[in-house]
Amino acid sequence: MLKSLFYKEWLKTRRLLAGCLTVLVVLNLYCMLNVNHIVELKGAAHIWLVAITNDAVFVQMMQYVPLIIGILLAVAQYVPEMHQKRIKLTLHLPVSTTRSVGSMLLYGWVMLLVLYVLSVLLMSVWLHAVFASEIVMHILLTTLTWYVAGLLAYQLTAWICLEPTWKRRAWSIVVAAALLRMCFMTDKPEAYNGMLVVLLLLALICTTWPFISIQRFREGRQ
Amino acid sequence: MIEFNDITHYYGKRLIYEHLTFSVPEGRIMGLLGKNGTGKTTAINILNGFLKPQQGQCRILGHDVRQMPPEVRQRIGMLIEGHVQYSFMNVRQIERFYAPFYPRWNKDVYYQLISLLHIEEKQPLSHMSCGQRSQVALGLILAQDPDVLILDDFSLGLDPGYRRLFCEYLHDFAKRGSKTVFLTSHIVQDMERLVDDCIILDYGHIVTQMPVKQLLDTIRVYTFTTDKETHLTDADLYHPSQLHDRVEFVSFLNENEVAARLAAQGVAYDHLEARQASLEDAFIGLTGKY
Amino acid sequence: MLRFAKISLLTVVCLLVVWILPWLYDLATSKRMNSPFVMYSAVAGDFLLTDNSVKPSVTTDLQGRVYDGRERDSLCPMFFYRQLLAQERLPDTLFGQPVTPRLLQQTNFTFRISPAELNATHVALYPLLESMPDRVDLAMPDDVFRITNRGLEFIDMETNRVNEEKSERFTDMLQRKDFCFPATQVVGNPTARKEYDEGYLLVDEAGHLFHLKQTCGRPYVRRIELPDSVKIDAMFLTEFPSHKTLAFFTDMRGDFYVLEAAEYQVHRVQIPQYDAHSCPMMIIGNMFDWTIRIDERSCTRFYAVNASDYTCIKSLTIDDEVLPADRMGRWLLPLRLRLLSPTHPQVSPRLGLSFNE
Repeated sequence: MLKSLFYKEWLKTRRLLAGCLTVLVVLNLYCMLNVNHIVELKGAAHIWLVAITNDAVFVQMMQYVPLIIGILLAVAQYVPEMHQKRIKLTLHLPVSTTRSVGSMLLYGWVMLLVLYVLSVLLMSVWLHAVFASEIVMHILLTTLTWYVAGLLAYQLTAWICLEPTWKRRAWSIVVAAALLRMCFMTDKPEAYNGMLVVLLLLALICTTWPFISIQRFREGRQ
Repeated sequence: MIEFNDITHYYGKRLIYEHLTFSVPEGRIMGLLGKNGTGKTTAINILNGFLKPQQGQCRILGHDVRQMPPEVRQRIGMLIEGHVQYSFMNVRQIERFYAPFYPRWNKDVYYQLISLLHIEEKQPLSHMSCGQRSQVALGLILAQDPDVLILDDFSLGLDPGYRRLFCEYLHDFAKRGSKTVFLTSHIVQDMERLVDDCIILDYGHIVTQMPVKQLLDTIRVYTFTTDKETHLTDADLYHPSQLHDRVEFVSFLNENEVAARLAAQGVAYDHLEARQASLEDAFIGLTGKY
Repeated sequence: MLRFAKISLLTVVCLLVVWILPWLYDLATSKRMNSPFVMYSAVAGDFLLTDNSVKPSVTTDLQGRVYDGRERDSLCPMFFYRQLLAQERLPDTLFGQPVTPRLLQQTNFTFRISPAELNATHVALYPLLESMPDRVDLAMPDDVFRITNRGLEFIDMETNRVNEEKSERFTDMLQRKDFCFPATQVVGNPTARKEYDEGYLLVDEAGHLFHLKQTCGRPYVRRIELPDSVKIDAMFLTEFPSHKTLAFFTDMRGDFYVLEAAEYQVHRVQIPQYDAHSCPMMIIGNMFDWTIRIDERSCTRFYAVNASDYTCIKSLTIDDEVLPADRMGRWLLPLRLRLLSPTHPQVSPRLGLSFNE
């Protein structure tokens, strides 16, 4: 049954996931070409010293991409469910609500983690070709926050989409915006090293919030 | 199989119904009729567990609908108003999705119905007409082979051909398998062909609940002519309406009893006539024209 | 699960309120704070406070005497020497010592400790410049070094490969000086935009202090003896034009020390203990005295220190002005959650009472 539930989510999101993967690969390639271009023109020493002394990370353009991907995936999964209240079909399936809704959320997390891990691996490969491991770790640790923000954005968007009333949705959007703002308080590299676990925990805690929306839907709130 | 016990519900301050109680016995097809806004979809939503009534309890197969175990839901088939299904799936995908959930799944029944539609198996539901979508929805329910079916406005948006096809298949399925069916529809003629029992809802209460045959055997449409403006106040003469010199109403009383009631109210009339009512006549007569 | 979800949602919303409301309040009520520029005048023997918020600026001393711009310049001749020179008012001697503009330029310095910079995470790769280059100007090297458990490794930046031979040379020299790998602190100024290079100061695993340079391509390593009671907390390599001071550092107790370049002599500066990780410090120094400014949570402290023996000549404390809006804010919004801090660049939740700020 989990396979079927995942199959449904796959049908909704396969094109979007392909598009997101393409975007991540293309952006990685672009950043890599950019760095190689600087190395070619000014030498590797220049770019190393910029990384060491100026705290440059060279992948700044990817900062909001995981967040946007997280939001888009949630929209692709949950807006069709709420359109014409199709969520009734999912909730009527002979599985518990925890299972039916939980599997949708789990699918989203799995897909995002696959995309993000692939992106990190790709980034790691081309960074290691140019930089020492200390600089690579410095950059990757900085980008980790962006991926956690993507997971958090997915979770919060799911919560918002599944909420049956617009009034409550508006309030949820405000809360979500504030929480996501927390992930982008500063551009300083590795500034979130101590906060990553907190943000990840927050994203995990937020996995329970869509069930509040579902309960409100089941009570007939409109 | 289906029990509505003392259900009271409000939308804000507006009362929908109070202490509504009825049940649907096993193997019967029950139709819920009512004007717009009388609470038909509300009843369906309460039954499906998507609306919490202010008071009362609803049970299906002996289980409270708000705490129904998943294995019991396997035995309940649901049709949402508008034949809503996962429109991003095509015919094959949607069957493949639902099949693992239902141990009695019969895909032959599904594809047999689909073959009547002249559509590609890879055609998404979003590219189908209303009628084609309704048959897909029906096919899925039949393939599920549930013991209880709950259908909300099954005829919405269908032309006569698809409506007839839907009714015939559903009736045949229900009778052959002793299925319990609870449905609503605006097309009263379809209900007349399909249902065994009916409940007629008016604002806030049930007007009547009885087998359709019994209803149509007992209720009559009465007409008489008069040259005066008439105001009938007898509760057994339902919703009298006057157009020029002709007055019309329905009643469960026989002709003599009606004549006596008219005389008691001092109504001067001519040509009192009674005729057999169709279900639509009975429904309009009992609930009134707008 | 639903109960947990509702409780967690409520908790998070409360935390958001405690974060956003005080921030909004501060945004709406913040005002520019005018703090005077404070400088110790050895000529006047007192601190001079200059209020630059008025035009022309007004300078007073602690006795209340008021000075105009010209008088102020004369009272702080080491700091305003260029102005005095332009007005041909620069004296030939100060406190019995002959002075020239060049001497003053060489001996003046400004030094800042920024807790945010100190507490930041840096990439643990260090460019080691050639301290005695053939050319006049310093040049950035083609390699950087890292210190591991095993030793010091130089990595060629063009090839991203370890220079084994050079690494071995430097590691050997450090080991000969009894350096215990890895290093716990590596402090230097990795820039070519300075007059000279003093390499790096290293603290090894055992807490011992070392000086590392590259001179004519060869490793220069010296172990610097510290008093037993001193355990280094934060270090700052200075490389001032005078060549007198090699570094400043604080120890775990908060004492502030000077490490002189000649003979690596360590002197404690006679100011009270302070925490470099949370309080910004600025030193405006000249050949005779230093004015040290330390910004604490609710006040600013100034110390005048003798530049020769590092004794404290005078001190001054100016309490921070608390605006009525701030006072009201502490009562209206007693609980406050901060994610950023002016002294720690790390984003982390800091929940506390407004009264304690």
